[in-house]
Amino acid sequence: MNEVNDRSRDIGPFIPGPDDDMIICRCEEITRGEIRRAVHDGMFTITEIRRYLRCGMGLCQGQTCAKLVKSIVAGESGAAPGTLEPATSRAPMRPVEMQILADEM
Amino acid sequence: MKRYDLVIVGAGPSGLSAAIEAAGYGMKTVVYDENSRPGGQLFKQIHKFFGSKEHHAKIRGFRIGEELLQEASAAGVEVQLESTVTGIYEDKEVTVQRKGHIEHVKGDTIIVATGASENMVPFGGWDLPGVIGAGAAQTMMNLHGVKPGEKVLMLGSGNVGLVVSFQLMQAGCEVVALVDAAPAIGGYGVHAAKLARCGVPFYMSHTITKAEGTDHVTGVVISQVNEKFQKIPGTEKHFDADTICVAVGLSPMSQLLKMSGCTMSDDPKRGGQVPETDEYGETSVSGVYAAGDVSGIEEASSAMIEGRISGTRAAYEMGFVSEEDEIKELTKLKNDLLSLRRGMFAPGNKGKKIEKTEEGINVSQNLLTKGYLSEAEIFRYPGICRKKGLHPVIECSQNIPCNPCQDACKFSCINVGKDITSLPVVNPLAKCSGCGMCVASCSGQAIFLVDEDYDETGASVTLPYEFFPLPRVGDQGYARNRAGEIVCKAEVISVKSSPAYDRTNLLTIRVPKDMAMKARFYADRAETKAETAGGAV
Repeated sequence: MNEVNDRSRDIGPFIPGPDDDMIICRCEEITRGEIRRAVHDGMFTITEIRRYLRCGMGLCQGQTCAKLVKSIVAGESGAAPGTLEPATSRAPMRPVEMQILADEM
Repeated sequence: MKRYDLVIVGAGPSGLSAAIEAAGYGMKTVVYDENSRPGGQLFKQIHKFFGSKEHHAKIRGFRIGEELLQEASAAGVEVQLESTVTGIYEDKEVTVQRKGHIEHVKGDTIIVATGASENMVPFGGWDLPGVIGAGAAQTMMNLHGVKPGEKVLMLGSGNVGLVVSFQLMQAGCEVVALVDAAPAIGGYGVHAAKLARCGVPFYMSHTITKAEGTDHVTGVVISQVNEKFQKIPGTEKHFDADTICVAVGLSPMSQLLKMSGCTMSDDPKRGGQVPETDEYGETSVSGVYAAGDVSGIEEASSAMIEGRISGTRAAYEMGFVSEEDEIKELTKLKNDLLSLRRGMFAPGNKGKKIEKTEEGINVSQNLLTKGYLSEAEIFRYPGICRKKGLHPVIECSQNIPCNPCQDACKFSCINVGKDITSLPVVNPLAKCSGCGMCVASCSGQAIFLVDEDYDETGASVTLPYEFFPLPRVGDQGYARNRAGEIVCKAEVISVKSSPAYDRTNLLTIRVPKDMAMKARFYADRAETKAETAGGAV
C-alpha cells in the first residue's frame, strides 16, 4: 500500500484557517476550506477529491486549479505533492456540447 | 476515416516546425489547433528574440510565426484551425471537434505539441475581475488591441513577467510594481533593466496578501516574505491598481499524452506532469511524440528545434528519409538545441544560485534584486569601456545564448566569440561609425552609444526606444539613470528610425558630461513613479 492510500495514518484534527472561504476551483466554486475538510473526511487522492467535491470538473477541467488543489491536499494529508497522482485524463479534453458529441463522423 | 502519415496537435512553434520537417520529407501531415489563428503564442510576442542567426535572433516573435506559416504552406502542410483534438485512443485514433461535429482521424504517427497553460496563485480576492494571467494580458494587448487596465501590478519576475510588463508599458499602462516571492529576479537581467530604467520598482521576497475591491480590483496589498516564504507581519504595502497580472510559471498541457497511455512523471523542473521521452521526443507509446512546452517548459526557440527533431525522427521511423540523412539532420538539430540550452538560464541551472559568470566575473546582486546594474558594478563587464569619442557601451552581464551584436558591427568592434553564451567584449581600438546597428540588434536593449566628448560641456547617449509617441529633436526633457531616477535635464538631439532597426528607434540625448555613464533613459516629465508607489497600509 502506498503512503497516499494509507488511511490509518493520523493527520490530526481539522483546524479552521483564516482563508478557508477563499475560492480555489473557480468553475465549480469550491473553497480551500471545503478541500481541506474533504481530506479530513477521508479523501486522500485527487480522484476522490474530484468525485466528492467536483473541483476540477468544470469548464476549464482543472487547468487552473489542479496544481492548487494538489498542494492543499498534500499540505493537509502530509503526503509529498509528487506522490499525489493527477486525475485521470479522459476525452473530451475540452468541454463539448452534447449535440456535437453525438454527431460523430 | 481519414488517414494521415502524421497528425500534429497544436500549431504553435513546435507543432509547425515538426510539420514543416515531416511534410518536407513527403509525409501527409495535418496540424490541428483549437484557436482561430495559428502560431500559438508566437503572434503575441512583439519583442525581439534572443539567440544566434540560425535561431531567428533579433527577429520579433510574430515575424517568426509568419515565416513558419509560409514555410508550412510551401511544404504542403494542412493546418486545420478551430479544430480541437478531444482524445487520442488506441492505435493512434484521434477525435477532433470540428465544424459542429466529431471527426475520427487516424495517424501513423502523432506529435503532441499542445504547449502549456498559465499557473495561478491564490490570494484574497484572486477571483476578482482584474486579476489575469500575464499571457492573457498579452493576448488582449497584442492580438486584440485591448488595454488590460491602467495601473498594473505584476506578480512574477521570470521572463514572462518581465517581457509582459514592458509590453504593458508600451501599450500605455503604468506598471506600479513587479513583485516576486523569490529573493532574486528569475528572468534575464537585461529584461529587468529595461523596466528598472523606466522607473518600475522591484519588490523581491514579496508576495500579494490581497487584492482590494468589491466587484473589481481597485488596489493590491503586498507583504515581504521570509526564507520560508511566510509573510512577515507589519511589512504590508499598498498600491493603487486596477489590474493584477500573474506570471508565476506555466504547466504543460499534457492530458492528451496521458490519455494516450504515455508514461508520465511529475517533474517540477519541467513544469509539472510531463511524458517520459527519448532524445527525439518519442514517448513510451511507439509513434507518439511530444514536442515543445508540453514536454517541459522552455523558450519558443527550443520548442521550434524540438519540433524539427520530432518531425525528422517521425519521418525516419516511417521510412520517408534515409538513415544517413536522418543522422545528418538530427546531429545538426541536436547541436542547435544544446547551444540554446547553455548559459546561466539553461534548464539544468534552474533553481541554482550562480555567483560568477563563465568569465569568472561576479554576478551583479543589484541586478538580481533591484533590476539594474549599480554604477559600482558596471565596469566589471567586458562590454563597458570608456574612451574618447563615440563608442558602444554594452551592459550585458549574464551568460545567455545570444550573439546578434557581434554580427551587427561591420568594424569588428564587438566580439562574442565562438561561445555563444560569452559576454560581448568591446574592442576599444576599433572605430565606431555610429551606425547604431548594434543598439537596434540587441534583443535585451542593453547597448548604448556614448560620446563623452560630444561638445564642450555635454555628452551624448544613444539609447534604444520602443515607445510612442516618439520624442522629437529639440525636445527638452529629463534623463533617467539605470534605477529609473531622474538625474538631469536632457535634450533630444537625434531620433532615428530605419527599416534596418526593425521598429527599434534610436534616441540620442545630450546630457552633462558627468552623466554619460549614468543617463540610460529619457523622460519628458520629471515625475518618478517610485516616489508615488508603495504607500504604507
